[in-house]
Amino acid sequence: MSQAPVQERTTPDLHPKIVSPFCTIGPFFPFAFVNDCNDLTVFEGRQARGRHIWLGGRVLEEGGHPTFHTILELWQPDAGGIFRHPLDPRHADADPGFYGFGRAFTDAQGFYRFRTVIPGASREPDGTPRCPHANLTILAIGLTRRMVTTIFFSDSPATADDPVLRCVPETARHRLFARHDDALAADGLPGYRFDVILRGGEETPFFRD
Amino acid sequence: MPVNQDAPLRQYLPYDDRTQTRRQIEDYPRSFTRMPAQPFVERPLTLSELTGPIHLERRLPVGSADFSCLYPGGPRALGQFITVSGRITDEDGAPLAGAMIELWQANASGKYIHEHDRHQAPLDPNFIGQGRFLTDAEGCYIFRTIKPGGYPVGSNDWWWRPPHIHFSILGPCWMDRFITQIYFPGEPLNETDLLLNAIPDPEARQRVIFEPQPTKVTKDLNILEFRRDFVLRGKRSTPQIP
Repeated sequence: MSQAPVQERTTPDLHPKIVSPFCTIGPFFPFAFVNDCNDLTVFEGRQARGRHIWLGGRVLEEGGHPTFHTILELWQPDAGGIFRHPLDPRHADADPGFYGFGRAFTDAQGFYRFRTVIPGASREPDGTPRCPHANLTILAIGLTRRMVTTIFFSDSPATADDPVLRCVPETARHRLFARHDDALAADGLPGYRFDVILRGGEETPFFRD
Repeated sequence: MPVNQDAPLRQYLPYDDRTQTRRQIEDYPRSFTRMPAQPFVERPLTLSELTGPIHLERRLPVGSADFSCLYPGGPRALGQFITVSGRITDEDGAPLAGAMIELWQANASGKYIHEHDRHQAPLDPNFIGQGRFLTDAEGCYIFRTIKPGGYPVGSNDWWWRPPHIHFSILGPCWMDRFITQIYFPGEPLNETDLLLNAIPDPEARQRVIFEPQPTKVTKDLNILEFRRDFVLRGKRSTPQIP
């Protein structure tokens, strides 16, 4: 170990403004925190508006190996492109059947899936449009910090001007698109596939956090 | 829950790597096989990143903050009773009110209730060691539990984790998402823990160790008390005039 041993200290924090250090979730994130959290299409007994889909894929590490018990968190606007949050000027019109947050975890083959709606195009308070997208956080053993990326949808119009997508190198943008995949269709809902490649090959672009 | 109405004016700067756990840690192989080889992409923060789940208790149910028994008045879990309290603020010291805290920990023997835990240690029928609750209007929290045991990790028992409690915090903004592990002061295993010692700044390392509070002895249940405050990223973009 190259690190100095930890010095114990019992006095109060002298520099309270130091941002607390992040750490990995480790291998034992409780199932009780993720079971039954991957369905975003029902909220408080109401059905979400819009087109319901399965959004799923695999989370892979170097060498294409599946990651097991990786936790994925989704945050997205509703089918009308409205975030359920007071900062969205249109939030009073948010879909009462859609909350926008969900959680899923990967199985032994690295597969996860969410049941959600295709998000609508959102608008910044200054009117700048954002094309339909969902934010994704990835937490796993070995990841000492969260990984953040954004999922776009292959059938969205006018994605080239999206203020976040255009920051991604052009050659890697296609890796941020979920695409139709009949293999993921179930219960009469269409499937969209979004694989997360943490390292190597067609590596998923992640945002600085 | 108060929400940061001025959030478009707020700054969420990228984490300072000196105060954060290193991304790649020697002898922790998965910190290499899962770390992207490509540089992280810089992007502006839009409504999408500056909003986030509020009133999350409507989506994820909250429960009791007493983990030392399964139900009020029920038989007590084995181990040293402890109380942990603290406050969650942003970098300006403003409280995160109504933030959701999720906790999970091993029992006194160092065993989790989790199908992936292969450690040969007994479960405690009176201890679950996981739950969620909210911070109050001042950003404060308090819970009662037992001190967790240390445990070996890896298939060859090649590394012992010191006693620690996992914290997951979900605030009103996607940028507030925070996960960490908090350790106990004076534990010999702290000195060799790969994760704790991967925080480069020694001052920052102290931010993931509980502070012992003065001991009190009463006629009622006696419990050791610890404190841990958290400072989450985020501040006003213009300095306030005093």
